[in-house]
Amino acid sequence: MLDKPASALRIRERLLESERLMDETGCYDGITELKLRNQDPLKFETLHTKLRAYCVSAREMARRISASPGVREVGEMVVAIYTPEGDAIALSNGIMVHVHTMSRFIKWMIRNGYEENPQIRDGDIFANNDAFIGTVQVPDVMDVVPIFHSGKLVGWAGAVCHELEAGGITPGGDVALAQERFTEGLFVCAEKVGENDELRRDYVIRCERNLRMPIYWVLDEKAKVASCIDMRESVKALIDEIGLDYWMQVSKEFIEEGRRAQLARTRQLTVPGIYRGHTFYGHVTAGKPGYQPLGDPDWLYNMPIEMEITTDGKIVMDFEGTQPWGYHSMNCTPAGMDGGMFVTLTQHMNFEGLVNDGAWMATELKLPKGTWTNPDNEMVATATSWALLLPAYGVFQRLLSRSFIARGFVEEAFVGQVNSPMIEMGGTSQYGTPFGMAHFECAAAGSGALAIKDGLDTAYVGWNPESDMGNIEIWEQNMPMLYIGRSIVPNSGGAGKYRGGCSFLSTWLVSKTDHLRLVTSEHSSRVFDNGGLCGGYPAPTCQKHRAVRKSNIFELAENGAPLAHHTGTNPYRSELEVRLEGEHVTLEGPYITAPHKTGDVFTHSYNGGGGYGDVLERDPVKTAWDVENGFLTKEAAEGTFGIVLDEDEEGFPVANLDATKRHRAEMRARRLAHAKPVSEWIARERERVKAADFAPEVRKMYVSAIKLSPRFTKDFSTFWDVDAKSTFGVE
Amino acid sequence: MTSYSKEVIADLVAGTLPWPQTRRIMSAYKDDDRFFKYVSVLQDRVGWSDPILLPVGDHLFICQSGDERVTKCECGHSFGDYRKNWKLKAAIIVRDSEETLREIYPNSDLPDPDWMEIREFICPECGTLHEVEAAAPGYPIVHDFEPDLEGFYRDWLGKPLEPSNKGG
Repeated sequence: MLDKPASALRIRERLLESERLMDETGCYDGITELKLRNQDPLKFETLHTKLRAYCVSAREMARRISASPGVREVGEMVVAIYTPEGDAIALSNGIMVHVHTMSRFIKWMIRNGYEENPQIRDGDIFANNDAFIGTVQVPDVMDVVPIFHSGKLVGWAGAVCHELEAGGITPGGDVALAQERFTEGLFVCAEKVGENDELRRDYVIRCERNLRMPIYWVLDEKAKVASCIDMRESVKALIDEIGLDYWMQVSKEFIEEGRRAQLARTRQLTVPGIYRGHTFYGHVTAGKPGYQPLGDPDWLYNMPIEMEITTDGKIVMDFEGTQPWGYHSMNCTPAGMDGGMFVTLTQHMNFEGLVNDGAWMATELKLPKGTWTNPDNEMVATATSWALLLPAYGVFQRLLSRSFIARGFVEEAFVGQVNSPMIEMGGTSQYGTPFGMAHFECAAAGSGALAIKDGLDTAYVGWNPESDMGNIEIWEQNMPMLYIGRSIVPNSGGAGKYRGGCSFLSTWLVSKTDHLRLVTSEHSSRVFDNGGLCGGYPAPTCQKHRAVRKSNIFELAENGAPLAHHTGTNPYRSELEVRLEGEHVTLEGPYITAPHKTGDVFTHSYNGGGGYGDVLERDPVKTAWDVENGFLTKEAAEGTFGIVLDEDEEGFPVANLDATKRHRAEMRARRLAHAKPVSEWIARERERVKAADFAPEVRKMYVSAIKLSPRFTKDFSTFWDVDAKSTFGVE
Repeated sequence: MTSYSKEVIADLVAGTLPWPQTRRIMSAYKDDDRFFKYVSVLQDRVGWSDPILLPVGDHLFICQSGDERVTKCECGHSFGDYRKNWKLKAAIIVRDSEETLREIYPNSDLPDPDWMEIREFICPECGTLHEVEAAAPGYPIVHDFEPDLEGFYRDWLGKPLEPSNKGG
């Protein structure tokens, strides 16, 4: 390489200096006093709001450029403005998880000498979707452009879209079969993909040659570049107005203010102490086509989380005791874990919109090396890391909510997010062309209940607070399947005084194709990967897929006979089995099978949220309304909630309050009669533990946790009064 | 500074405040005097006089009981020293079979009882279901919350607790 003069920007030195100042002073970039805010608070706030407006407006404009229903319909995009060192100052709405992952990407380039080679110049465009550099998974492709003013690097503008097709071993973005990095799809590893505000032709050709549906990715790239340029020009015009020195100072003060605001918010809304919770995730691939025998085909992960809130307002989350990374697509990098933390804080503690990277700086994540949260092998796949991230941050939401309940802010307590399994597809489209797509209607699951009301039905996912399932007609334009049903799944929210939000189920008729690959990336039905709070139950486990191959649906339609529009409420015999003839399939996820053809029927169910409070306290009148509208079944109302419903003269359910009171008194008495003292249960269960009398996957989970975590080993040994290592044969 | 009447807080906690008003409270700056009003609302609700120091669940409170600090059910049943895991003194129902899980999930696919069970922690006196754990068989019972009670009252509320002979 030719010798080149050192960069005039010296941004790497600046980044190190900024970090040193933070270490020394405890304040962002050594900003110990918010001078500009104190001088003129109104100007300060106006500028911050202006930056936020630049972001929101740039994102809305860019969504109109995109061809992807994920971005146009569902809003799978976020944009943000950064300091020269890569810290977020302001951001738009949308998939806010990526605001901090982009920060990691910018810092990675700075740390790796990008100012010397490939150089950082005005008009450059850099892209990345490598989770070890800074994103969550391959389909989350980010673009950033530097902002120069008066020849000086004064910041960055960045944008992320979730791509609906990433060119992996299975079609779509969340690539189910990826067991190592090399099958996840098209990687763009912190590359300069454009100059002079234009994407390089060779980069676009690479995308066109390596993706099943390049129109989504390439037009999303253009949308992102347009939004970045829009933000860049807005920031430059602002600097013309307020002066460069003011900008350089105020942008840092915004972040330090964000950090202080987060600490203050924690002190205002929570109670200091140690909070604990856990969740689980089960994966089942034995006998499924395409999986390489690299590890155990079926496995169970535990995800224990300990959260400490210190009296200075810092939130520390510790994942010690969880499982090692594996040869599957659900590993996560620290960037993804940071992103999960950021988006959760944004929703629960920083809802006024002026949040930035300062909030993240007021927290700490402890991610044990070698676990799925922090793999010590950069070849691992992270294509579906949301499968573990969502349950984990659902626990975080419940831990935070317990602190809100303790403090009295019951209106903020929320049982949390759930997994929302995505359906992905590829093959030959209804137009006879090759295609691939992730179906993003999953962005509208049921939410957990609140401590004062039921959860949201079909209206929440953790990664994007602006939940949207998209219009049926738009999805039908993009895939060779027609909707024959999209319906609420009764009882899909967890039971409780306040029930979790319900999910929905789609029923499709495969149409005008002889080759449709349908894939779900994850989600067995073996365990609950969500939870309830304060006596509420978890929402049901992930539902199995039900399909009919070679169905007689066209014949039924021709004869005007009833079709199946959903799976119904009988778990042992679905409506498909009742109404349709053909080859019936009931399959636990992940769904990976031979291609479907015209005439096949396929169903996919999303997940509901966990419940809050004791079921026997649920309002009977509200429950009657739920039954009337299909959110609960009469069977569940009586059997689970203890609510007796009669019918009025028109056949609508009405609560029988007297009968309910009697029935609930019986249920409560039955509870007390069946319940045993915990001490008795522990004494009996200890014998089972001593014999390690568990399913192989459960035993293996304990072995792995014991090998990785002295704390888990100690806690397990103390609780059961056993030697955990010898019990499970760990050396 | 934002502030609400005790009646409004009582309705909010009971889930009976009309939604538009609840929504306004959610969107507004938070009321810094919430904690003691909240505790006062809960104190009116319970049928006993031990002062509530900290609510830790929907019907579960840390309170000052004589010279002890204990975790107490709304019915008055004491689970003992608040620093210990109250669940260990509770009653339990475990759902680890298709039959018992089906009672809660009548219309859905079920988890595999070999991989996962539901544990219900119940007040042995009044039968209130205080907490539900979904865990793998053999997983230790979780101690959900160990509050820094002294630090909270001293550093955040500015009202240090009287020293207690027992229970912290």
